[in-house]
Amino acid sequence: MVIKCSVSNVCLESHNLAFEWYWVLVIGACPTFINILNYNMSLFATRCVRPFFFHHYTLETSSFVQIRGYAARKGTRERKRKAKVKSVVEKVGFIPHNQRDKEKFLANRKQRKVDDSWKGDPTDDVYVAKYFKWKVYPFGEAVQCHRETHHPDMYNQPNANLHVSIELDMQGEKKTRFLDNFTRIVATPHRFDHGEERAVIAFCKDPDLQQSAVEAGAQLSGGVELIKQIQNGQVSLQDFNFVVAHPEILPELVALRGLMKRKFPNPKAGTLDVDLATLVKKFMYGINYTAVKDEYEKDFGIIETVIGTLNMDAKHLEENYVALIKDVYTMKPRRTGEFFRRCLLWSPPSQEKLKVDHESYLDIPKKQEVEEDDDKDSKEDRIAL
Amino acid sequence: MWKSLFTAVSKAPVLQTTDILNQQLRTTFILRRKTPPLLHKQGRKPKTLRSRHYIYELVKDTDVEKQADIDVILTSYVEGLGNAGDKVSVRPTFAYNKLLLPGLAVYASPENVEKYSNLTNDSEKIRYSSKNAFYTVQTLSQMLLSVVMNKENPWTLKPWHIRVCFRKCGYIVPEDAITLPEKQISGPNMELEDKEFFVTVTINNQEKVNVRCRIHHWSTNITERIPHVHNFWEILSEPVIPEQAPILESMPKKRNVIKKRQASI
Repeated sequence: MVIKCSVSNVCLESHNLAFEWYWVLVIGACPTFINILNYNMSLFATRCVRPFFFHHYTLETSSFVQIRGYAARKGTRERKRKAKVKSVVEKVGFIPHNQRDKEKFLANRKQRKVDDSWKGDPTDDVYVAKYFKWKVYPFGEAVQCHRETHHPDMYNQPNANLHVSIELDMQGEKKTRFLDNFTRIVATPHRFDHGEERAVIAFCKDPDLQQSAVEAGAQLSGGVELIKQIQNGQVSLQDFNFVVAHPEILPELVALRGLMKRKFPNPKAGTLDVDLATLVKKFMYGINYTAVKDEYEKDFGIIETVIGTLNMDAKHLEENYVALIKDVYTMKPRRTGEFFRRCLLWSPPSQEKLKVDHESYLDIPKKQEVEEDDDKDSKEDRIAL
Repeated sequence: MWKSLFTAVSKAPVLQTTDILNQQLRTTFILRRKTPPLLHKQGRKPKTLRSRHYIYELVKDTDVEKQADIDVILTSYVEGLGNAGDKVSVRPTFAYNKLLLPGLAVYASPENVEKYSNLTNDSEKIRYSSKNAFYTVQTLSQMLLSVVMNKENPWTLKPWHIRVCFRKCGYIVPEDAITLPEKQISGPNMELEDKEFFVTVTINNQEKVNVRCRIHHWSTNITERIPHVHNFWEILSEPVIPEQAPILESMPKKRNVIKKRQASI
């Protein structure tokens, strides 16, 4: 007799089948069920039921919902427990409150780039400045305004420093590339006390030139003997901020390359020139400036430096300013668009910042309208027909 | 008889169908075929279009397109826009809701342009020298100008001092627009410290507004400086010139001060 049964009722069946010989054909049962079957049979019908296992499981698929009132195999549970991924809670150290949610903080951060082009031009003679475009002062007028605030009647600091802030667009030739911070020195047409301690050492063979370099303000000047003294250790290069040299002494100077490192004179840095006296003057009395890129707003850079004092002649201040912005403009990357965002004049203790013009001082070629290519258009028309 | 009656009734205005919606509907969608059909041969029938030729991409939905500004003629002074009779160009929604509905303006149709042409010369209407003059008057009348003068050097208050103080606070005021009180104020005088007076500012040679000022002494030497007072404008002070007292009292206080007073009451 062949019993075709589903495994759920095998146990019941096996009760009734006690003490009789049967062939049990189990079709479409998986090994687990066969195990159960074996178990039941060992209990009740070990001798009478001889199960015949037809091991081709795919012969028939039984369509039933399994209801199991007993525990799954021990092995299954263990396997599943092992398969569970342990979530390890990493301990985060204390983060200062002002550094939490950095992204959020950065998103809410005020932009340093200022664009007031959407604002209108003032129409009245009396107006509230914040509702209109920034007033662009002529350079002389801006200086005059600062002189007024520093007048003896008010702040009483008539020889305060005149600072300039130049805001730059630091975007490089590609949109994702940005200029690096740069530091330069520009020769000033009109000297003023910049308040920095600078020491210059000059190298040249000609004694007259050496003399002129010292007269121009170099702390030390010399030729081959000076190089030997430095090699001996009698003179330390650490005491000097800038090293300038005449090209004729360059072969001998190569011996000091290791000591000087980045200070070694080269034409690109402007430290190697025939006219040593002007070179020394530039490094002694020039305007030293650094363009600093914003840490997060990579396309925003700012130069803050002093271009003179308020008691200087306004014309002289203007010439210093022009020399500065022309030098900064040489750092413009090769791309279209503007390099300068705006230039501001300010003078502490007054907090006032006055926007001054820069475009008229730089000979920037004006935009040329690209002429429409008529030939191309007519060609396209023909294709369309 | 029935026929004539029917025609008579149907011609009556009650039964005649009319277009209820007279407004223009913007239902134009500009589409482009995703697969353009191929060119057909000359002198032959055009090829039949396949189902793929009926798949379109939306180029423009004219319904959500930005509409152009509209011109309206103002019938009275509108702050920040202009005087009565001025023709201004504004956003359509603003024009409908804020100008046309409240009756502050009318459409700039040729008839209206002619009708309201004499409005510019109407003397009864309030006129300001410019569209922003009213705002400027409002702002200046509520501000407190800090006049920072030196603590060591002798000075006499002049219009350019006030102009500089205005500029430092972000107000552009030319020197000839400032009228100082007739009585000279000179210092340094520590009795005048934190005391008030007012100057008169004339906007576009027309609107006059009194601006509350307060003298503060500033020393170049840090140790000599007067200690900082937090929100000094909230502390009431006395007039520099006793004659100015009634006017100063009647002038509006700085907004914060008003709020604070209301809160205390």
